[in-house]
Amino acid sequence: MKKKRNLGFLALLAVLSLVIAACAPGEAETPAECEADEFGCVEVAGGEAIKIGSLLVITGPNSSLGLDSQYGVELALDYWGADEFDGEPGELLGHPLELVAEDDGCSAEGGTAGANSLAADEQVVAVIGTSCSSAALGVADTIFSDRGIAIVSPSNTGPALTTEENHKEFYLRTAHNDSIQGAAVANFAYTELGLRSAATIHDGSPYADGLQQVFADVFTELGGTITKQEAIQVGDTDFNPVLTDIAADAPEFLYFPIFVAEGGLITQQARAIDGLADTVLAGSDGMFTPDWIAAAGADNANGVYISGPDLASFSGDVDFYTGGFIPAYTDAYGEPQSVFHAHAWDATNMILAAIEEVAIEVGDTLFIPRTGLKDALFATSNFPGITGNLTCNPLGDCQPSATIAVVTVENGEFTEAVYSELGTLGG
Amino acid sequence: MRRLPRYVRVGLLGGFIIIYLTAVGMIAAFHERNIITGVVQFSVVLMTLVYMAAGYLAARAPKGGSPPLRPTRDALIAGAVGGVLVGVFVILMTVLADAGYTPRDMFIAITPATLDILSFDQGTYLSLPVQAVLGAVLGLAGGYLSTATPNVRSTVTRAISATLIGALGAPLFSVMMAGLGIPSRWLFRSEGLTIVGTVFVVGVTLLLRWYLLRAGGVRNALDRVPGVTRKNVNVVTWAVVGVVLAVLPWIVNTFVSDVLGTVGLYILLGLGLNIVVGYAGLLDLGYVAFYAVGAYSVAVLTARSSFLVGADVTNLAPDGFMNFWVAIPLTIVIAVIIGVLIGAPVLRLRGDYLAIVTLGFGEIIRTLVLSDWLKPYLGGPQGITEIPSVPVGPFNARDPRILYYLILGFVLVSYFVSTRLKYARIGRAWAAMREDEDVAEGMGISVIKYKILAFVMGAAVGCLGGAFFAAKLSVANPGSFTLLVSINVLAVVVLGGMGSIPGVVVGSLVLVGLPELLREFGEFRLHIYGIILVAIMVFKPEGLFPDARRARELRGEATVKEPVPALAGAAE
Amino acid sequence: MTSVETAARSYRVLLERLPVRRIILVILSLVIAYGVIAGTVATLQTGRFTAEDWVDLFVAGVARGSVYAIIALGYTLVYGILFIINFAHGEVFMSGTFTAFFVAHALADQGLLNTYPVPALILLFVVSALVSMSIAVILERVAYRPLRGAPRLVPLITAIGASLFLQYTFRGFYGAQAKAYPNIDILQGNVPVAGFTIQRAQILVVAGAIILWLALYLVIERTRIGRAMRAVGEDREIAALMGIDVDRTIVSTFAIGGALAGAAGILFVQLFNSVFFFMGFFPGIKAFTAAVLGGIGSITGAALGGLVLGILEAVGPILFLTGIGVPSPNQLQPVVSFGILVLVLIFRPGGILGAPEEKRA
Repeated sequence: MKKKRNLGFLALLAVLSLVIAACAPGEAETPAECEADEFGCVEVAGGEAIKIGSLLVITGPNSSLGLDSQYGVELALDYWGADEFDGEPGELLGHPLELVAEDDGCSAEGGTAGANSLAADEQVVAVIGTSCSSAALGVADTIFSDRGIAIVSPSNTGPALTTEENHKEFYLRTAHNDSIQGAAVANFAYTELGLRSAATIHDGSPYADGLQQVFADVFTELGGTITKQEAIQVGDTDFNPVLTDIAADAPEFLYFPIFVAEGGLITQQARAIDGLADTVLAGSDGMFTPDWIAAAGADNANGVYISGPDLASFSGDVDFYTGGFIPAYTDAYGEPQSVFHAHAWDATNMILAAIEEVAIEVGDTLFIPRTGLKDALFATSNFPGITGNLTCNPLGDCQPSATIAVVTVENGEFTEAVYSELGTLGG
Repeated sequence: MRRLPRYVRVGLLGGFIIIYLTAVGMIAAFHERNIITGVVQFSVVLMTLVYMAAGYLAARAPKGGSPPLRPTRDALIAGAVGGVLVGVFVILMTVLADAGYTPRDMFIAITPATLDILSFDQGTYLSLPVQAVLGAVLGLAGGYLSTATPNVRSTVTRAISATLIGALGAPLFSVMMAGLGIPSRWLFRSEGLTIVGTVFVVGVTLLLRWYLLRAGGVRNALDRVPGVTRKNVNVVTWAVVGVVLAVLPWIVNTFVSDVLGTVGLYILLGLGLNIVVGYAGLLDLGYVAFYAVGAYSVAVLTARSSFLVGADVTNLAPDGFMNFWVAIPLTIVIAVIIGVLIGAPVLRLRGDYLAIVTLGFGEIIRTLVLSDWLKPYLGGPQGITEIPSVPVGPFNARDPRILYYLILGFVLVSYFVSTRLKYARIGRAWAAMREDEDVAEGMGISVIKYKILAFVMGAAVGCLGGAFFAAKLSVANPGSFTLLVSINVLAVVVLGGMGSIPGVVVGSLVLVGLPELLREFGEFRLHIYGIILVAIMVFKPEGLFPDARRARELRGEATVKEPVPALAGAAE
Repeated sequence: MTSVETAARSYRVLLERLPVRRIILVILSLVIAYGVIAGTVATLQTGRFTAEDWVDLFVAGVARGSVYAIIALGYTLVYGILFIINFAHGEVFMSGTFTAFFVAHALADQGLLNTYPVPALILLFVVSALVSMSIAVILERVAYRPLRGAPRLVPLITAIGASLFLQYTFRGFYGAQAKAYPNIDILQGNVPVAGFTIQRAQILVVAGAIILWLALYLVIERTRIGRAMRAVGEDREIAALMGIDVDRTIVSTFAIGGALAGAAGILFVQLFNSVFFFMGFFPGIKAFTAAVLGGIGSITGAALGGLVLGILEAVGPILFLTGIGVPSPNQLQPVVSFGILVLVLIFRPGGILGAPEEKRA
């Protein structure tokens, strides 16, 4: 008797699995392009969504940067096809668009886990990410390139990612390369302001360290003197010692391309150091947010120079950006916390346009060749984005020339650009 | 507060918990997460569980008290009270907003949209009756569970848990099913269970339950199958575990393999720290120091951007200084030296003093690898890139699956060594020292020697973990070596059960594996991690899988009631 | 026994007798001492910094040290009575300060912060202290009370869990962005003291810290609850036998520690006017270090430890490292402060004011 019951149970399971197996859908015929493609095709069956991945920092202290980019991606997916922000995902070639959001944790291990997670989903066509260079360099860029998945970063600005030696085959970025920004700030300080000595502070992040190094190199090349390159720890609050140390050399210019919390405190404390009374203070896009002015206090922030991608020279569609994009963004997510949503928007649109170009329709099934998609992305030329016209070079820089603006603060508000420079890579 | 009847207090607590979940943004965020696609969202499940728990508790006897006279009524009232509180909250917030004091200015998650979720889109004022009725009904359900027979209770809880596990694990399960070639769309859709899927999961659970009840438990069921004895059940169990471990990477996808690799790394680290904390009783809050030393040693010795071969991040050499397998023994030697250097001066300190000093060493090492001072050698903030993967013959160890086997191998070896150490002479010396240093000293045990020994062994294992970490990521970056790593490893050890070797495995699975698999909870991951940490420690202070002797000590020698789990090789 | 065996054995005996630990200790201390002295001399010889620079740094160190000292009192009180490290104390500090931000903001919007600075400041202190106190009491009730009698590592892990929980709770409540505390005008600017200029905010912070410390001292030494706290710390069971309500005493300890942390937060934001959910983490660890440095369990020790640590952090890296040519010395601040901590503990294992060899089962 007992045995019979055992068998009965097993039989039930067997029947169930048969039922399941019977539900499997039939397969469409694979086009020749896919056979030829080294990494094959993504196959999107009729009615299925086209999955776009994102790998941005959405947890931890840097999450406001990554969330801002992610919102840019979400809006782009919403707008595509429908040409309006209706809150419904857009459609591409009759397939709805779907976002698979991952976290890069702003670290190498976060990038590895997130990239592996996205790469494991065979339906993910391309990825927008990462937020932080440390999650990309030698980590996410390698994992995706090994699997033939194109990755476009909206906010990696680290120069190392697109050097001849380090660049990975499937990696691109719509963010400007910091070689351009660092040089622009150096030119601004040396030529425009006519200053001859400068000091820098970084916070131990690869971003700040890379940026201040480019600045220091170019400033020295121009004939200026770097009096000191200092560093602080993230999370610290008392910067009197560092600033006193820097003040001992009385530099004319102090460049600290760091983030809101420490940047605000340094701005504030520098004002109380006698030796820095005449020093011009400057930061970069990490502090290019009203939060920083609030953190520093308006009185202290007045007169500080901040560099960043030139929003006013976003040559593409300024009207659309200020009249369509920003209102939709604010409606859905509140005030933007950085400017990289624009780069994320462009990255997403670039990817979608490339998919539209290379996708092969067989019946209602869509085949997207992976290498073909990558090639189409690298072939992007004069693509109209809100940050400007994008043209990707063979090392994946889609803004091989970018306009960097320097603004200042007056009465607690950012001014229009006081200086603007069109920089070109390799120049 | 104390004057209020217990059921009112329980109900209020439930209401506050729901308000809390709303205010931290979980209700809004989890409203996007399907449990039963299109029907029930995770936010609703959370509310349901809270109300049911309130009803359940209200109908139970309090600790050391007598059971309530009218449990059903109490449960009903508890749920209703919670619901009324939530309703009042919704109304209050709306009134405040209308009066110009936008709650969102302070509590960013209390938005009109979130309040709509709480009122089930019925408008502000209807939220009160809606929530009250919901609370009352669910409280009643909870109360019913509380008074039902154990059989009914466990059957219902199992069905609910199975549904939740199925839905929350949907992304993982659908991937696994795809790996096995089984279609999963009928079961899962949009990250939740379909209605068919829910019926299926509940059905299977009930069937299994019914079958096992009839048979009288798993053991009994097995016993009745002819030819099956306890002994060969054990053999078969281990064989099954072995086979599963061996084929696992090929069933799951590369992401899960990668997570398993990370879990393996933490098991390795946990086993190492277990020697220091669990065996020798030394409180080490800076274990990350050795992890970093291991990673950076391997990085410097093998990377193509290492200063040893005259290269840097933007100027790579064709090859590293040496092969990974040659670097490993060297790394362990470095670990031993650093372990002695750090350990010798400070190991005389007791308990918490040692904790802060080791924490300090962790911070010192992190600062040093980050510093501009050592930047020419260790890369500063940019770290060291282009670390080659572990060379394993013809295989590509960049593939998480190959790495999985490698790490599994080292874990097994460490597991074995750990077990042997524990019951060897040295392990007994550690135990004596841990229990009472002065007595141990009196018994002729050189306390300092054994402490340093434990510290150095822990250091060596930690370094090994770091070495694999660097080879796994292919970069060594200062951002990976924060205090949080030390805390994680310590939590793995303590949560699993101090001194318990299987505990380390369980701890890693719970604290490292689960959060990785639950990545979709994004910004709430660490929040939930914190809750789990507190909850497990409060309800199971001896750990999830305690060492038999430790557990006895904790509960008091005389009151051993539960059977002690049989440990492999527990020959005390 | 063969001669080889004997030789091996005597070798082993020799090895065991050889004071390896001592040797390492002496070498280590010599190296550190040499580094400190040589560095200091070399730095002073460069003449890079004026006397005024040193005074400024010293005063800044004293100010931040005072804040550490007050937070450290919370660690020390709890440790003195329960012998556990309340790792979540940094978050207790954050909770009050962060919440009081909204009060400060509202006051600033109404212009009340500058028209009535003293009542406004007192209100901020009260709000911050109350919130921190409640969080500390809830923490005790939920996370620590069920664990009395468990091994000491267990409450440490719950504390870490609670710490994460609180951080992310407040992040969920108030958002992830750093927020700027509104400044109080009369606290801006400098005042001349003995030929040097000192910031007004620093004077307020040091004065506030002294008042808080004295108040605590009086509570511990002169009041009933203080006596009860000391008694419970001495021996919980006997205290209970003497009619002391142990639970209440422990709750009071957490409440007092929490209130002090909340108050310290308001002092903190006068120096560094930004708040966010992670702000409690580093001050928490530093205060803990200060408590151990001074001798945990002693409230005088906590004050001393805080001051020493604050001054060391402000002056140490520049003083010791500039002279020997280390770039970015301030980045190495943890190396300096923890290095000194290790040195102190090697020679005084119980901290500066602690018992030389504390024994505890």
